[in-house]
Amino acid sequence: MTTAAIPEVVNLSETELGLVDEIKELGGEELLECIQCGKCAAACPLVLAGFSFFNKRVVQAILLGLKEPLLDDSSIWACQSCNRCVEVCPRRVNPFEIVQAMRRVAVREFALPTLSIEGLKSLYDTGHAVYLAEAGNTRAKVGLPEKPPSTVAYPEALKELQAVMRKTALADLGIIPMGEPM
Amino acid sequence: MKVGFFVGCNTAFNRPDLEQAVRYAFPALGIELDNLEGQSCCPAWGTMPSVDLVGWCAVGARNWAIAEEKGLENIVTVCGSCYGSLAESKYKMVTKPELKVKVNEILKDIGKEFKGTSNVRHAFYFLYYEVGPDKIKEALKHRLDGLTVAVQPGCHSLWPSEVYYDKEENTFYPKVLREMCEALGATAPYYSRLLDCCGMGAMRSTDREKSFNLFQKKLLAIKEEVNPDLVVTGCSSCLIQFDATQEILRKEKKINFEIPALHYMQVLALCLGANPEQVTGLAKTDVSQVVKRILEG
Repeated sequence: MTTAAIPEVVNLSETELGLVDEIKELGGEELLECIQCGKCAAACPLVLAGFSFFNKRVVQAILLGLKEPLLDDSSIWACQSCNRCVEVCPRRVNPFEIVQAMRRVAVREFALPTLSIEGLKSLYDTGHAVYLAEAGNTRAKVGLPEKPPSTVAYPEALKELQAVMRKTALADLGIIPMGEPM
Repeated sequence: MKVGFFVGCNTAFNRPDLEQAVRYAFPALGIELDNLEGQSCCPAWGTMPSVDLVGWCAVGARNWAIAEEKGLENIVTVCGSCYGSLAESKYKMVTKPELKVKVNEILKDIGKEFKGTSNVRHAFYFLYYEVGPDKIKEALKHRLDGLTVAVQPGCHSLWPSEVYYDKEENTFYPKVLREMCEALGATAPYYSRLLDCCGMGAMRSTDREKSFNLFQKKLLAIKEEVNPDLVVTGCSSCLIQFDATQEILRKEKKINFEIPALHYMQVLALCLGANPEQVTGLAKTDVSQVVKRILEG
């Protein structure tokens, strides 16, 4: 458990209090509305499954500037984006968006899982985060065309998507190769 | 009536039998499907939404623009993630005009614009509200009479309710999928872990053991409380977890049973007369007996 990285007494002069502003800039605008009531945690599948950091604790760690412990732990990447927390939050904090914002901080530190990098690469190269090159056979077996009517069947559409993605923050971060298509 | 069909990744590449079920069932109920040619990934949560808010909405907006250009009021999906990601990107752009401006600045280069004139609908909700259980009943060639099912609506069909066009009276006591199964003749009782997450998705990608333990808890509750002939999911990701993970748990000697699992659209397609090989042919759980009973019903 990487929570051991959190000392019993947190010395705030040694933590990254700028993290709060970073989170607010990256989508977690309502962060400071949180009163740590815990309703979000009671609804969260990550709690039921036993992860170290879930909505309420992610918010708490951000407020304490505990950036490294959050980056060292995989919990934020296990968030199911289920939005139960958003539904129940009495302060309209949108805890899910704060977890997403923490992922965005992690991405800027290149602390993202390999699967996410692969997903981004696949999205850029094919238009699908999940893509199986060999699916043509199974599609044909159930009577469908080998390619779905998506970017994989329409190369012009894929070029459009790539042009869009090259105009986003992803291009500045250099996480995946995003060269001009041939 | 014509609706856009947003296929998504898992349905197109992992479970094309589910895609085929949609392509059979909608026309059988008199609804034409538009292919939304050139559609991409929604985008999935672990990709653009985890990198940047504007980037997330820009990739979503390109998909939205395809439907809007065709004048389609509705697009349907059978995947919870596509439903959630698309609904949230639209909600964010509509409620935050400055975000919409930034996104449209990006889309301008490819000659597209997000307006916000189309809705995304989960397939079974769309059929519930636009066709209705009574009309569906009339169209059935086969029924689920005598069969008991456990429903798995899926997280994204319910929350955050604020961003969705279709609503449940109480998202923590959802009824629509149960009523839709009852319309086919099945008994679809409530059970204590009905709302629990199946553990598929980011959780499974991050920690398989925790994901499988969560799934096992849910599955055991279903077995003990409902002992169903079939699990019916509303979401393609839940389908994959229910269909593919039971075998893994059996090999690990954590369960000693198997419950067949199908997506609602697959069950509906069967009841409307679809070829079982085409609409359920890729199931890993043994669905042969339950399919046989449906075709006899």
